[in-house]
Amino acid sequence: MSYQHAADNWFSAIIIAIIAMAVLLNIFRARGGAQLYIRRIPGLDAIDEAIGRSTEMGRPVTMIPGLTAFGVVAVQALTIFKYITKQIAKFATPMRLLTANPTVYAVAQEAIHDAYNEAGRPDLYDPDNVRFLSDRQFAFASGVAGLIQRERVAASFMFGEFYAESLIFAETGNIVGAIQIAGTTSFTQVPFFVAACDYTIIGDEFYATSAYLSREPVLLGSLVGQDIAKFLFALTIAVGAVFATLKGVDHPFIKLLGMPGGWDTFWNAVLGGR
Amino acid sequence: MQEMRPLTVWERMLAIDRRWLYLTLFVSIIVFLLLPVRLPAVISPPVRKFYDAIERLQPGDIVMVSSNWSASTIAENQPQLEAVLRHLMRKKVRFTLMSVEAQSRDISLRLANRLAKEFGYEYGKDWVHFGFYTDLIVAIKGMTNDLPATVKQDVKGTPASQLEVLKGVKSLKDYKMVIDVTPSSTVPYWISYRPKNLIVLYCPTSVMAAEAYTFLDSGQIEGMITGAKGAQEYEQLLGIVGLGTRFINGIQFSHVLIILTILLGNLALFMQRLSREA
Amino acid sequence: MWQIDTTTLSGKVSMALIVLGAFVLAFGLIPVLQTLPPRGRRALIAVVTFLVGAFFAAEFFMPLTQDDKNYLTPGIQPAQNALQIIGSLALGLGTYGLVRLHLRNVVQKRGQWGYSVVLLIAFVTMATFSIWNTLAEKRILARTPLLDRGFSLLFDYTLIQLDAAMFSIIAFYIYSAAYRAFRIRSIEASILMFTAMVVMIGIVPLGAYMSEQLFGLPREVPPNAHPFSLEAILYSLRLPEIADWILKQLNAPVQRAIEFGVGIGGLAMAIRLWLSLERGIT
Repeated sequence: MSYQHAADNWFSAIIIAIIAMAVLLNIFRARGGAQLYIRRIPGLDAIDEAIGRSTEMGRPVTMIPGLTAFGVVAVQALTIFKYITKQIAKFATPMRLLTANPTVYAVAQEAIHDAYNEAGRPDLYDPDNVRFLSDRQFAFASGVAGLIQRERVAASFMFGEFYAESLIFAETGNIVGAIQIAGTTSFTQVPFFVAACDYTIIGDEFYATSAYLSREPVLLGSLVGQDIAKFLFALTIAVGAVFATLKGVDHPFIKLLGMPGGWDTFWNAVLGGR
Repeated sequence: MQEMRPLTVWERMLAIDRRWLYLTLFVSIIVFLLLPVRLPAVISPPVRKFYDAIERLQPGDIVMVSSNWSASTIAENQPQLEAVLRHLMRKKVRFTLMSVEAQSRDISLRLANRLAKEFGYEYGKDWVHFGFYTDLIVAIKGMTNDLPATVKQDVKGTPASQLEVLKGVKSLKDYKMVIDVTPSSTVPYWISYRPKNLIVLYCPTSVMAAEAYTFLDSGQIEGMITGAKGAQEYEQLLGIVGLGTRFINGIQFSHVLIILTILLGNLALFMQRLSREA
Repeated sequence: MWQIDTTTLSGKVSMALIVLGAFVLAFGLIPVLQTLPPRGRRALIAVVTFLVGAFFAAEFFMPLTQDDKNYLTPGIQPAQNALQIIGSLALGLGTYGLVRLHLRNVVQKRGQWGYSVVLLIAFVTMATFSIWNTLAEKRILARTPLLDRGFSLLFDYTLIQLDAAMFSIIAFYIYSAAYRAFRIRSIEASILMFTAMVVMIGIVPLGAYMSEQLFGLPREVPPNAHPFSLEAILYSLRLPEIADWILKQLNAPVQRAIEFGVGIGGLAMAIRLWLSLERGIT
C-alpha cells in the first residue's frame, strides 16, 4: 500500500499539520520581534570571501543550480544566487548563471534582473550572463566545464540538485583554482563535493542558507519551526524504537507511527475491531 | 637573489600533475580488463533477494521494466538490464518496457530486440515497449488506474487494445513487479505511487545505491542489483558470463590502484612533515 | 467532470470553446497585469498560488470515497498535464535564449565565436534528423537511407559515445579528488580515508579473496553457529561483511537523518511559497 492521501494514515497527516503549525507559529513569533538564534555555517561565511577574491582577480563568478527541475529546491537555489548577485553587483564582478532547466532559466533571468535592480546597478545586468545550456545532463556538464576552463572562473557556487555531473563541475573548478562552495539536497553527491570543494553545505543547511544570509524574521522563524519538527521526529523514532523492542514491529502502535493503513489497524485494535 | 631549492621527492609526489594519475588509471583499466583473471563474486543479500523474487514468478506473469538510463551509464545499467531480461525470458514471463529518458527508449528497445531473438520472444505477444513518458508520476498514476488508456499505443504505434501481451491486463495492479533500471532517483516515485501489491526491484548505478539501503531495510524494495558489480553477482547466479563479469576486473583493480595511490600520498605527507621537523 | 468526450460533436464544441476561452483569458490577462500596480500584481499572484496549492492540499486531505480516490483526484492528472505544458513552453524560451546568444556571437564575431558556429550547426543538424526520424517512425514521412545513416551517425556514433565519455571522465576526476582529499590531516579525515578504503575493497570480489586467502577468514559460517562463536566473529571480520555493515548500519541511518531534515526543510519552504510568505525571488 502506498501513501498518497491523508486517509492512508491519518496519523502522518496530523504530524504534517503539526509541523506546518510549528513553522507558521514561529514565523509569526519572529515577525512579532522574537530574537531567534542560528548557528554559524562556515561555508556561508565564505561567500563574501569568494566574491572578494573574484573581484581582485578580475575573473568571473559562476552560479550553477545543477539539474534542478523547477520546484522548492530551485526556488531556494535562486534565492541564494539572488543574494550572491546583490553582493557581486556592489563590486561589478562578472557573473555567469548556468541552468539546465528552461523553467529555472526563465525564473533566474527575472531573479537576477531584480537583484541588480535592488542593488542599484541595473546597468550591470546582461541577459546573456544567465544561460540555458542544455537539459541533457552531460551536455550541460560539458558546457559548464568548458566555460569554467575558458573563462578561468575564480569562484563557483553550486546550489541545488545534482547528479553524476557534480564531480565534473567541482573538479574542473579545482583545476582552474576556483574557490568553490556547494550546497545540495542530493545525499549521494555530498561525498564528491566534500572531496573537491572548499566548503559544502549538507542536507537541510541548504534550506537554512537563505535564513542565514538574509536574517529575515520569516525565514528564521521557519527554521525554528523546522527544528521543532525534527525534535518531534526524533522523539517519535525513540518512542517507536523502544516500543518495537518491547512489543515487536507488528504491533498496531508501530503501524500507526508510519505504515499506510496503520491508522485503521490501530483503532481497530484499540476499539476491538469496531 | 635566493635560489629556489629543488623539490624533494615527497613534495613532487604531493604536487604530482593529475595527468600522470589519469594515465596510470587508464593503463590499469585497459590491462586488467584484458587480463583473463576471474574471481568469483560473493553474492550479496540484496542481489540474492532480487534473484529469488524473479525465481518465484510463474510463466505468463507480467512484469514492468522501467528503463531510464542513457549512454552515459551504459557500463553499469546495460549489464543489469541484460541479465534481468535474460532471467525474465528464461522464466517465460511477459514483460513491458517503458522509459522516462528519451535516449533510453531507443537503447532499451534495441537491447530487448537483440535478446528477444536469442530466446525466441515475439514482440507484441511476449513483450512490448511502451515508449517514452515525460512524467513518471503521471505515468504511474495513470497506469495504476487504467493502463491501456494511459499507454494508448506501443512504441511502434500499435494500439494498446491490440497488444496480445496486455491480454487480461487492465492496470498496474495486474502486474507482479516493477524493475527499475535507472541512474537517477526514480525509485521513490515507484514506491510512493505503485499499487499495493506491486513488488519493486531496483537496479541503480553504484553511486545511487547508497540512498536505496533505507528502502531495502524497510522492505519497500525487495531486491537490488548495484552497478556492474551487482550485475556480475547476478550473472554468476544465472550461470552466464556477461558484461558485468567482464567489467569487474577493471573496476576492482582500479580500486586497488586508487587505494595504493592514496597510501603513497599519505606516506609522502608524513615524510615531508618529518623532513621539515628535521 | 474533468474529462471531455471529444468523440461527440458537443464534446468537440466544448473543447474548442475552452481552448478559445483560454486564449482570450491569457491574452486579455496580459494587458490587465501590465496595468495593475505592483501591489495588485503581487496580490493576484498570491491568490492564484494559494488557490492552486489549496487544490492539491485539499485532494491530499479529503477523505477517500472509493477505489483510493476522492472527488478531486480525477483533477490531479489534468493539473499535472498543465504543469508539463508550461514546462514545454519554457523549453522553447530556453532554446530561443541559447540560439540568440550564439547567433549574436557569430554576427558580432565576439571572442571564440567559432564554437558558436559549431553549436548552431550541430543544433540544426541534430534537430532536423531527430524530428525527421520521429515523423518517419509515425509513418508521416518516408524513411530513407540518408535518414537512417545520418541519424545513426549522430545518435549512435556521436551522442551516445560523447555521453559515455563525459560520464567516464568522472572516474578520472574521482581519482585525482581522492588523492588530494584523503590525507591524514585530522582524526575525522583519517576515519573518512580508512572507511573509504575498506568499502572500496570490501564491495568487490577482491575483498572476499583477500579476506579468505590473505587473512585466513572463513568463507561462510555454519547455519546453526552461535552469533558469538569464534567462527561467527571471524566471519564478521571479512572485508565484505565490514563494508556491508558500514553501508547498512552507518551510511543508511545517517542518510535517513539527512533526508528527514531535507524533507522538513522542503515542507517548510513549500508552505512559505504557498502562503506567499517567501520573499526570496518574488
